Amino acid sequence: MTTQPAITARADRRLIRPHHRSKRFVLVQVTAPPATRERDRLPVNLAFVLDRSGSMSGQKIELAKQTIAAALEHLDGRDRFSIVVYDDVVDLVVESTPGSPEARRNAVARLDAIDARGSTNLSEGWFRGAEQVATHLAADGVNRCLVLTDGLANKGLTDATELAKHASELRARGVSTTTFGVGADFDEVLLQGMADAGGGHFYFVRDAATIRDHITSEVGETLEIVARDVELEVVAAEDVGVEAISPQPTRPRGSRTVIGLGDLVAEQVIDVVLRITFPYGEIGRETGVIIGLMDRDSVFAAGGRATASDARLSWAYADDAANDAQERDTDVDRAVASQFAARARQEAVRLNRAGDYLSARRILDSTGRRIRAYAGRDPELRELVGELAAEGDTFAAPMPAMALKEAHFASANMARTRDAQGRSLKRRG
Amino acid sequence: MAPSDPRYSLTELADLAGVTPRTVRYYMSQGLLPSPGASGPGAKYDDTHLGRLRLVRRLQREHLPLAEIRQRLAGLDDTAIATLAEAPAAVADPQDSALDYIRRVLGPPQVQPNRHLAMKQLPLRAYSLATEPVTDVPIPNILSVEPAPGRSFERSQWERIPLAPDIELHVRRPLPRPLAKQVDRLVSIARDLLEEDPS
Repeated sequence: MTTQPAITARADRRLIRPHHRSKRFVLVQVTAPPATRERDRLPVNLAFVLDRSGSMSGQKIELAKQTIAAALEHLDGRDRFSIVVYDDVVDLVVESTPGSPEARRNAVARLDAIDARGSTNLSEGWFRGAEQVATHLAADGVNRCLVLTDGLANKGLTDATELAKHASELRARGVSTTTFGVGADFDEVLLQGMADAGGGHFYFVRDAATIRDHITSEVGETLEIVARDVELEVVAAEDVGVEAISPQPTRPRGSRTVIGLGDLVAEQVIDVVLRITFPYGEIGRETGVIIGLMDRDSVFAAGGRATASDARLSWAYADDAANDAQERDTDVDRAVASQFAARARQEAVRLNRAGDYLSARRILDSTGRRIRAYAGRDPELRELVGELAAEGDTFAAPMPAMALKEAHFASANMARTRDAQGRSLKRRG
Repeated sequence: MAPSDPRYSLTELADLAGVTPRTVRYYMSQGLLPSPGASGPGAKYDDTHLGRLRLVRRLQREHLPLAEIRQRLAGLDDTAIATLAEAPAAVADPQDSALDYIRRVLGPPQVQPNRHLAMKQLPLRAYSLATEPVTDVPIPNILSVEPAPGRSFERSQWERIPLAPDIELHVRRPLPRPLAKQVDRLVSIARDLLEEDPS
């Protein structure tokens, strides 16, 4: 097996201007280490939180129950699980228990008795699930609450920013949140926000038939996690600005900038795009950044040499002529363009749903124009510009809810280095 | 989480602190900075050096003479220096557990007679900023408007819409639909205007 560096970083350009606040983009690629042996995997501590409001009745709830039963088969005595169902009231169906064969059999019997009814108290169902996870928090394991819903939260806390705030607080205390939205009627902004802030994943479940695929793949990924709470830590001069334009949360830690990547599965590859803003400077002077990679269990640091887990880049101040003539790294340009396109598409989804068709088109058009300005002859970038123009027409008229959800999920996955089904991407070869 | 332990060359160290390598050498000769373990071009510096160097720069910007700076630094250990150098203040991890947090939001784990009401009536400031980690999630709670009497289930609140890294728009929701549309347009136009791109 060839050794893959854990972190690589490339800049779109290496020269900066003396009399501008130059902005340069950096593509950071992180590759997680290979899987440990099965008997060494991290224990998982999961809560399954299932919506059983009236709209879930019939095939949806039956398939969700079957899938949870099937997912339990992957757990064993090292793991813990609990099951919570909610409509307007919240029931603890299975209190947090180790995943022994007997506990799993009992859980399946209890799941059988659940049917759909009532309205949707998403927040309390979620908190009760998180409570089960938190009661037996596995210090060395993966603690996660999986929330499945097909409708709008209409009881309890329903505000998207408030729920995201709680997800982030729980995340900071060791409990992550993954969300599954089924069908056309849930709020993808709310569920995506909870998952992003909660350090988990959001899945759009098109129809009942794909419930199984998504839950199985999420549970499978929790069993494959090799590095927890992975973070990039960027050290730069005090007057240099650093932020991620990909959707990972950026926050300051003292004079450094930290970008949270969440938990990574074996050999997962994740791309992060940074925007670096430079101060004025004298021609000839160089300035740089150091991007370190760390995680809760020092998995990356254990990889070998002290230099294995950081990447260094530097830029030089040069006159405008040299800046104008400099080479660009097309791969970085493509990564930057795809992040801005994903942002524009998500914004267009929001605007279209709000009935503001002209603004939806305008944001796609203006993003396309900006990409065209640096696309040059690159076929991939030109194709993206063409796609955005075509989508502008689609978004300029009312769109069906399912089409909006498809568009949101596709662009959200692209921005987060995940495939069309929301699964993590792995190192090639 | 253990911080990464970067090792800097003299040039990198100087760059990260916004000084020239010559200044670094001068500070060392003045006893403001410890020398690196090894000497010569291969010498490596660590975060202790960076923290100390940044602190010296900060104190110099306050026009303290070097002698005074040396005196102040003499009484401080590496941890204290790192803390002082890292302004704005470094963020502490939350002090309470996930379980404490959830119970504070939900109330005690027993079944309550009317738990939905209990949830709605939970004062928004109850889970406020005391032990809060800094995140980029907007925090509407501290800006929330108390419900008007008689409308206890209709809650309006301030939404913070980030437009650019240093600019945000505050909007009180819910808004009448035509106004909401105009705000959406405003956000879109403002973001267009403020968005930087790699051209």
